[in-house]
Amino acid sequence: MTDSTASAQTETISLDLDLPHAPEKVWRALTDPALLAEWLLPVFDLQLEPGAAFTFRTQPYPGWDGTVTCRFVEIEPYRTLSYTWGVPFLETVVTFTLTPTASGTHLSLVQSGFKPDQKRESGGARYGWKMMGGKLVDLLARMP
Amino acid sequence: MPSAVVTADRIFHALGDPSRRAIFESLARGEAAVKDLTARFDISQPAVSQHLAALKNAGLVYGRREGRCVYYRVQPGGMKPLIDWMAHHRAFWTDRVNRLQRLLDTMDD
Repeated sequence: MTDSTASAQTETISLDLDLPHAPEKVWRALTDPALLAEWLLPVFDLQLEPGAAFTFRTQPYPGWDGTVTCRFVEIEPYRTLSYTWGVPFLETVVTFTLTPTASGTHLSLVQSGFKPDQKRESGGARYGWKMMGGKLVDLLARMP
Repeated sequence: MPSAVVTADRIFHALGDPSRRAIFESLARGEAAVKDLTARFDISQPAVSQHLAALKNAGLVYGRREGRCVYYRVQPGGMKPLIDWMAHHRAFWTDRVNRLQRLLDTMDD
């Protein structure tokens, strides 16, 4: 059935790119707060430890202060960096995988887990859904 | 407010409930009447009807009346708003990754 296929396809986003830079340098851009602020979003309380919580900050939105709550899932220096990416109604996981190549680094970015968050749905998320109302797309244009 | 946005919101709400998700998945395998679903899931008829109303409201299923029975099936293209929603996430990361590449070019090795 087309719709079930579509449902499965909505659960992951992946991007792949070859960078003419060493993995160590790419790793720095992925983990240094000052550099993250330059290409991704301003980051707060970042400590490279498994399980450590930190936040990204994007533009506030009525009913939401713009905080993306994150927690490290996996840290393997110069190879793998994975963290949860939580917004008021959805928690996904973002994973960067670095593979050394002859010319630099192959970087793979995967954001997975796009599906309704049951845990939150029963409590806070109901409010989250309501407060976002019909402005979901506007919101998403500003943040992932 | 654009209807596609409202629909995406309703889809998440509708599929956030495990019973509704089970009913939706069951209908994806084929048409069924309320009484079939009641038997299949051991949920009361009013509860099934409520779940179906939420799924219908989200544009995920539609009903076809035949005599005294209404048969429900999956609405083709009902998941499209979710797919569009994903496109926004993809656009975000594509933009950010471009920024990352520009930043790397300016960084010392």
